[in-house]
Order: sequence, then structure tokens, then C-alpha cells
Amino acid sequence: MSFASKIDEWMKEVEARPESAVAIVRLVVRRLRELSEQNEALLAENIALENQTRVEEYRKRIAHLEYQLEMFKRRFRMDDSTLAALPDEAEDSTLNLLIYNAQGKILRIELDSETKEVGNLSDKMMMEQEPPRLLSVPSNETLLLLFTSGRVETYLASEIPARASGSQWNWEDATTLNEPHAGETLACIVPFSHLPLADFFLQISRRGFTKKALASISDSILHNHFLGRGAVHKSDQPFTMALSNKNDVAAFVTYEGRVTAFDVEDLPYTTDERIKLSATDYVIGAFLLPKNSALLCVTQNGKVIHRESASVEIPKSSASKGQSLIPATKLEQGVRFMGAVAVKDSDRIAVLDAVGRIAIDDAQTMLGNGSIPAEGWVLSIGLIQADVKKRGA
Amino acid sequence: MSRKVGIDFGTSNSGVAIYDGQQVRVLPVDPKNIQPEVIKTVLYITKEYRAYLGQEAAEAYYRDNVNRQRRFVKQWAGEIDYRGADLHYVRDIYVYVDELKPGRLLQYLKTALRKAGYRGTQIFERHYSAGDLAKTYLSLLKARAESALGETIDAVTLGRPVKFSESAEQDKRAEETLRQAASEAGFKTIDFELEPIAAALYYERSISKPQNVVIFDFGGGTLDIAVMRLGDSKNRKVYASGGVDIAGSDFDRAIIEKRMLPHFGLGRVKHHPEILEMIHAVSDWMALPELGTPINKATLEKAIQAKIAPVRLKALKELIYNDLAFTFYNRVEAGKIDLSKEGATVINMEDKNISLWELYARHQFEMDISHYLVEVEKVLLDTLEKSGLEVAQVDAVVKTGGSSNIPLFTNMLVRLFGKEKVKESNAMSSVVGGLAIKARM
Repeated sequence: MSFASKIDEWMKEVEARPESAVAIVRLVVRRLRELSEQNEALLAENIALENQTRVEEYRKRIAHLEYQLEMFKRRFRMDDSTLAALPDEAEDSTLNLLIYNAQGKILRIELDSETKEVGNLSDKMMMEQEPPRLLSVPSNETLLLLFTSGRVETYLASEIPARASGSQWNWEDATTLNEPHAGETLACIVPFSHLPLADFFLQISRRGFTKKALASISDSILHNHFLGRGAVHKSDQPFTMALSNKNDVAAFVTYEGRVTAFDVEDLPYTTDERIKLSATDYVIGAFLLPKNSALLCVTQNGKVIHRESASVEIPKSSASKGQSLIPATKLEQGVRFMGAVAVKDSDRIAVLDAVGRIAIDDAQTMLGNGSIPAEGWVLSIGLIQADVKKRGA
Repeated sequence: MSRKVGIDFGTSNSGVAIYDGQQVRVLPVDPKNIQPEVIKTVLYITKEYRAYLGQEAAEAYYRDNVNRQRRFVKQWAGEIDYRGADLHYVRDIYVYVDELKPGRLLQYLKTALRKAGYRGTQIFERHYSAGDLAKTYLSLLKARAESALGETIDAVTLGRPVKFSESAEQDKRAEETLRQAASEAGFKTIDFELEPIAAALYYERSISKPQNVVIFDFGGGTLDIAVMRLGDSKNRKVYASGGVDIAGSDFDRAIIEKRMLPHFGLGRVKHHPEILEMIHAVSDWMALPELGTPINKATLEKAIQAKIAPVRLKALKELIYNDLAFTFYNRVEAGKIDLSKEGATVINMEDKNISLWELYARHQFEMDISHYLVEVEKVLLDTLEKSGLEVAQVDAVVKTGGSSNIPLFTNMLVRLFGKEKVKESNAMSSVVGGLAIKARM
């Protein structure tokens, strides 16, 4: 039956019972409103299709799914030995050290397993009152850039031009993948490719606040380019972010030598204060603390203090002040921590000192000596895990 | 102490009532229903053979079936013996069975009693005859009534239509099947009363002097008419009774055939007999659930891919493969009920890929069922003629049953008998109330 015939029939109803007109008009108007809303939604979808937004969105989703598939293949079908027996893929990836500052400038230095002297950074060290930070990643790693406003961006490490080790650089040689917006700085760079195997995003702020978010909402986070600050107070700001699993234990170390650990699963999804810090204290190192690892902390004058992971207490109350690793007398003398990491014997540590020298030493040697060779004050340290290249490959 | 109750085992709705000599009390046998005294005549039997009735059946059905997973397996169903002049061979017959199906929803149980060719239905591993279905329903209804009453019930007066069937043999068989079902359900004493006469007994309580009354009982399955002398309990007289197999379910089918099928591809699909067959099956409540086979799904998907009325065939596919038939029939019925009060209504369904919207005016409905009006009027006048009474000798026309509220039929009664003679009895409880009165006689 045609629509015109239907209208004729409605008109006949109105002729027979004029009071039906009101009901018919009301029902038609309600339908028109529904159709108008549907039409608007379809037009918006059309625009998204025409300007390629939808295409781009699906491309990203496909890329993400392909990556997940790849990760699952690795996780369930190949062990380390099988993975190591894949020379083609392994050769594609090289070990890199990223040196970056709060202004978002990043240097990518190629390393090999024997590199001891990485090179020299001959430029202003402190940017926005923050020393440069060091991060080792495989060259095929995906990087997540977290800004102090809570904004996030992802890039491939390979998008940063690689530099050979043993040279001298300044910040003009560095690449800015994404320039910080007004009022924000780069908080940290995080290796991101094992997202499909992670359960949570774990954020830690400078003042020792934590925030947990489900990794399953990563699509929304990446789509909106926003993870959140993970900080309550205006003066506080994000320090780092880690991808973690349910059974992980995380820890952080502060400038004034406090350390605290906590079970990731027990953390609330809200921003929560994990330690009571003095007004001048702040977090200088935050990381997951695997079993059978050691906590390695470095003071500004290169002294190394370490603790077995099992000896780090998990306080029951979040109002705890944490364990103190710097004796009160040393604290009075001005000893402070500049960096802290969780290490295993086979790991290596990159150290940046105040004169710009970047050197690498074995963690085992450092732990044995109780100090690290530095020409000036230590500004920053970075962990080079023994299996970092394999994981990235 | 045990009680005798009246049970109206209706096509669409049922009820149980008792009479204490003063007052009729209709029992709240379906507490989950908006009107607890009325219980839908629907039965849901799960794979574990647990049975539910009324609103509980509908809820269990929705809970178990909507959005559920399906897995079809090919099952041997029997064999066909071909015999020709010079050949003879036997061929195996297979059917596709959804092995994850959690249960079966059964409606119109009373219609199954009067259908000559109805042999019953297979529910998982068991075969249920029409009598088995009625027995299952009545035993659960009896338990509900006993719980509401706090007493055991072992005797019943069951309502029956004037004619289960035009065939006297089938009519007798249907009554016997119902009697057997009631007996197996645990009733020790069973008697029957014609539904319009039960409605008359209920009406009789409201009159003070003898009257010639036409009872017009128009429900979900049949129209039953009785012409009676009421008002003097010692001299009650049935002048004539009659009926026809026309009622609410026929009107629902008419609406679906005339207004709903185009939403599922009728008029747009041509030269595809297998798809047209599926479309026409939408109006048949017994055939629709059986359409959900993998072969039909493949046929529909192929047609959608080929852009043959893709939107409508997608809607048809969703209707069949998402167990939305029950929802669909309920929407149609609700639209029909609306038109008894309003001049226009909307029959709509927004579910899965179904976006159905049909503005339906009373004028359209009356056109769609106009041929039934002619038949109903003929049966009414024939029964009146059989009674030997003239129209003028009728003091009151009492209408009862859900379909009696349809203005087209009310207007017909007004036209034939005059407005002042047409009385409205309680559409949902006058029959069951009358059966309770009869049970006490």
C-alpha cells in the first residue's frame, strides 16, 4: 500500500470521527521528531565518513587489533627460545636510549650490548626545573607521551631520528614529536606496546598520589587523547605512568629517601594518596617491583643504596610515611636521591651527570661498588633491562 | 475441606473464581500480572520440562530466549516411502534442530483443542498432544488457585464455547479431551457450562425482573451467543445458542496480513517463492517459530546481499532469529486494544534491525475486519431467529469478552437493538464469575 493511500485512510478516519484528528496529528508529530533525530545522527555519520574521520578511526582500530593479535601470538605460541630463533624480526629491532626533557625534546641514541660511553649532552640541563630523563626502548617500540595536563599521544620510537652513540649533542639536535601545549610540560614517556597484555594504567604523581584505570578503556583514552592528571592538588602533577597487571607490586622512591610499595590490585580507581610527604619532598622514581629484584637508588653524589625487593614493606595504611633509606644525619647533610629503579643482576644502568656525560654500567658492578662513576652531580638514571630488546622484537 | 471452582479456560486469558452464595470472588492467580485476576493462557516449557504459565511464562521466555545463542544440528526425523508404478524407494528426512533452545512458549492452547488436524507438538524429547498441553496448564492453574484460596480444589465447572467446532464429532472430541485433561490435572468432579450461559448467570444477579437477554460473548478465540430468559432462577430458559470461530486472534491476523507484512518485504519481494512463504508465515503464530532454520537464514542473507528489499528482509530475519515473534504479536494486540478507545494508535517495534512504525486508524481497522462484521451479524441474527424472539422482544443485549469492546461490533449491536438495550458486563470476569455461580448450583 502506498503512503498516499494510507494518508487517504487517515483522512477518512478524521471525516468519520473528527476527534481522531488530534490523536493522528500527535502521533505523526512524535514520529517526525524521532525521524528528525535519526536523520541528524545519520548526517553526522555521513560527515564522519566523508571527511575520513571514520576511516581513520577504523584504521587505528585495525592497527590496534593487529598489534594485539601479534602480542597474543607471541604470548601463547612462542616462548623466549622460539622468539630468539627468529632472526629476521630480531634484526629489525635495535636497542635505543631516549633522552628527553620537559619541553618534549627527544634524542634517540642507538646502543649495543657493549656500549659504555653513550655520548655527551652539551646544553642546558634543567628545563622547567626538571633534569632530562633516560629511557631505554627497542627501536620498534610504541611510545606514549603523557603531558602534565593529562593529555596523551602515541608515536613509534622509529619516528625519532636515530643518532649514533659516542657523539656530542645539544637540544637542537632533538626531535619534538608533539610540542607541549601552553601551560603543560612533558611528564614522561612510557613504552606502550605491551598494552594488550596489561590490566591497568597506573599513574603516579609527584606528590605520591596514584590512580588506576582499566586497560580495557584504552580505546577511549587514545581516541580522546586524554588519560587524566592523576593528581588532586593543583600544585601536584603527573610523574610517570606504568602498564601493570593485577598481581604486580609497584613502588616509588622520593627525593628525601622515602620508599613505599603497594599491591596494584588493591588500589582504588580514584586518585588516592599513598604516602604522607613533607612539604619539600617529591617522587623521583616509580616503577613495578618484580620479585627477586633489587631496589637501586642513587644519590646526587653517585652513592648507590640498594634493598632487596622483599624487604620493601607494603604498608597497610595509605597514611604511612614509608620506609626511610637515607639516615637522618645524611639527610641533614643534604644527601638526596636523584633516581631509583628496580633492577636484576643482568640489567644495566645509564647515568647522566651534571656535565652532560651519559655512561652505562652494569647494575651488578654498581651494587658491588656502592657507587657509580660520575664526573659531576648525578642528574638522572635510566634502566636498561637485559631483555628489553627481546621484548620489543 | 475442598472446593468447587469455576474455571474459564480462555483462548487468550483464563481465570478462576468461587461463589459463596452472595458474592463472586475472582482469585488472584497471576500476582505478576497488572490485573492479577486475569492470567494469560500461555505456557512455557523448558528443556528440563519445567512449566510456567501466565506472566511468569512470558518473563521466563524473554529471560531465556532474547539474544540467546543458537546451534543447529541436523536430526533424523523419519523416512518417506515413495511408491510409484514402477519404482519404490525410501528416503530419510532430516530436520534442523536448535540444540541450544532453552524452552518452548505455547499460546492459543484452546485453539489446539478444536483444530481437527492438530496432532500435538514435539517439545524436546517428549510429544505433547493438545490434551497434554491443556493438562499441564490446568494443573498449574489449579495449584495457583489452591495457593490463593488456601484450600484444596477437587471439583470444577469448566467453561466451553457453544461450538468448539462446526463438526459435531470434533466438538465432542474437544470437550472429551478437555475433560480428560482436567481429570489428569487432579479434578475429581468435572462439569461443563457454555460460556455465554455462564456470562448470563453473572448478569442475572444485576436484574430485578425477568428479561429476554442476548448474551454476546466475544473473546480471543470464538464468538458465543445465547438467547435466554433470565431473572427467575426457577424458570431460566435457553431459547437458542450459537457461535462462530471468529474472535480476537483473527483480528490480530488480519492486522498483520494487511498492515504488517509490507514491513517484512511483502510487495517488494517478487519471484522468490521461498521468501514469500516466510513473509506470509509471519501472521501464523504456529508457523513463525518454526522458520528459524539455517537454510532459511542463508536464503534471507543471500537476498539481502543481492539488495532484494534489504531493510525489510533484514527485519524479517531479525524477527525470526531473535525470538521476537511473541513481542511482535503482543504489540499488534496492544494496538488493536487501543483502537477500542482511541481513533488512532501506533503499532511500533524498535528492536535489533527492526524499525517498525505503523500509524493505524480505527477506520483502517474497521475496513480490515469488515468481512468479519457481516459473518458476526449473520450468526447473531440466525441465533435470534432460532430462539423465536423478535428484536423488539429482546430486553437486553449483554456483551462480554475482550473483542466485544471493539466499537465496530458495539455499533452493530446498537444499530440492531438500540442503544439503551446494549449492556456491558465485566469483559474479563463475567464468564468466570458465572462459572463459579454454576459450580455452586
